Amino acid sequence: MDELERKQRIRRTTLIFVAVALAFYIGFIMMGVVRS
Amino acid sequence: MTATTVDTNAADHDDHDHGPTKGIGRWLFSTNHKDIGTMYLIFSLLMFFIGGSMAMVIRSELAVPGLQFVHPEFFNSMTTMHALIMVFGAVMPAFVGLANWMIPLMIGAPDMALPRMNNWSFWILPIAFGILLSTLLMPGGAPAGGWTMYPPLVLQTGDAFPFLIFSVHLMGLSSIMGAINVIVTIINMRAPDMTLLKMPMFVWTWLITAYLLIAVMPVLAGAVTMLLTDQFFGTSFFLAAGGGDPVMFQHIFWFFGHPEVYIMILPAFGVVSEIIPTFARKKLFGHDSMVYAASCIAFLSFIVWAHHMFTVGMPLTGQLFFMFATMLIAVPTGVKIFNWIATMWRGSMTFETPMLFSLAFVFLFTIGGFSGLMLAIQPADVQYHDTYFVVAHFHYVLVPGSVFAIMAGAYYWLPKWTGHMYNEKIGKLHFWTSTIFVNLTFFPMHFLGLAGMPRRIPDYSTQFTDFNTIASVGAIGFGLSQLIFVWVLLTAKKGETATDRVWEGSHGLEWTVPSPAPWHTFTTPPKARIANESFE
Ligand SMILES: [Cu+2]
Repeated sequence: MDELERKQRIRRTTLIFVAVALAFYIGFIMMGVVRS
Repeated sequence: MTATTVDTNAADHDDHDHGPTKGIGRWLFSTNHKDIGTMYLIFSLLMFFIGGSMAMVIRSELAVPGLQFVHPEFFNSMTTMHALIMVFGAVMPAFVGLANWMIPLMIGAPDMALPRMNNWSFWILPIAFGILLSTLLMPGGAPAGGWTMYPPLVLQTGDAFPFLIFSVHLMGLSSIMGAINVIVTIINMRAPDMTLLKMPMFVWTWLITAYLLIAVMPVLAGAVTMLLTDQFFGTSFFLAAGGGDPVMFQHIFWFFGHPEVYIMILPAFGVVSEIIPTFARKKLFGHDSMVYAASCIAFLSFIVWAHHMFTVGMPLTGQLFFMFATMLIAVPTGVKIFNWIATMWRGSMTFETPMLFSLAFVFLFTIGGFSGLMLAIQPADVQYHDTYFVVAHFHYVLVPGSVFAIMAGAYYWLPKWTGHMYNEKIGKLHFWTSTIFVNLTFFPMHFLGLAGMPRRIPDYSTQFTDFNTIASVGAIGFGLSQLIFVWVLLTAKKGETATDRVWEGSHGLEWTVPSPAPWHTFTTPPKARIANESFE
């Protein structure tokens, strides 16, 4: 794995997990919206 | 980047190596995992003492029946703030500090994958807790509705309310960024021949913890966001009058809250799994089964949340499901405890301070685990709910559990951090006073709870006096014992020089770098194989 490839992989994994965190945040609020 | 030809410790002959910048800037703008780890650990110790002094207020008030020192309202603020500070300010940052220091050293990485985000996730914390502590001075006082922030009670908080919500958001943000950093580092920065199942247990448990954090901290943030809009923007997520459901908050909160307890205990499992093999001079028994057990615990932690709500009213099927799912967690936890004991079985054990704390962890955490099983039994929980039995249970899990593991880790890695051996006699004194007083504090609480003493009250009936007095004496003793730890830290650099290996039985990449660990390590990747050779 060269330095550039590592950087790209780091960026990709970071984005995936930021997206997961946002999905949980918005998802649970949406659940609140639906249920109230 | 080819790694096959370089030796384990490349830091000494790294041609562009440079030291830290001078002055406060080194800390404010730090992107170095060791400096950030140190800041996390110091911050956590500070919070441990602030939260601890609140515990002293609580135990002083409860030493005898009647109201002695504080107003009931302030007492409620103390229990609420003690919990928030200990959970989010002391235990979690301590483990993030250990992760920052040790994960790159254990996997042979030069630093965390996202060093600038690392700086942010630390510096958000002092801001968050500055805001939270400032609520003590606000009209209406600090939050007093319990750390669980149940509506509608929490909505009666005074001016402190929006500051509580904002500080919880900040704590969540910091944890999420820290967790993303840990995952990205472990996935992308391992030494070339360190496959996933070759990773040390501390790295493994932290990887699983980080997944839990990313799944549940946003849920907590969502819950408190909804509280905020209920209070200020006319929504009624949790307000029955507007068609909302206050019980829904409890479901959402505990969907976060139960995994949160594993967030605070899985890294502790990791620390103990590093220390016991070192001082038993044997390989960790069942490394892979430990990984599977921790993953099982993490999975189960998502489907047990309503065991915190058995008295709130739910269908019988729901009660049965959450009861049995909760009891199921005892199985993977039992696997772990079995493996620790099997690791020690016929080992040549010595009992240095880190080992003593780890052994106490195994025994005393198990007591907390068993009382947890008792609480899981729904019909019995109707009796235990909201009593001191619950307080006894989670303090056994968190104090001689998580906190002892943090202490064990601190003593274990301190020589690697400072380059000097700490004072073993004083360390042992710290251990024995802590262990005696922690039991004196929390064991009588089981009896109080079984006798029906409710939690979160500043006064109680006179029949509870004796056990309360014992608990208060224990608490003051435990608090004072922690000053011994400060003494150990202040004299940490006065001891004899530590070797690179530090402990006779230690193994792993972190012991191949010099003591103290230089500012930059593994700028060229090491061979992971070398670290395991001592046992193979
Ligand atoms: Cu739980």
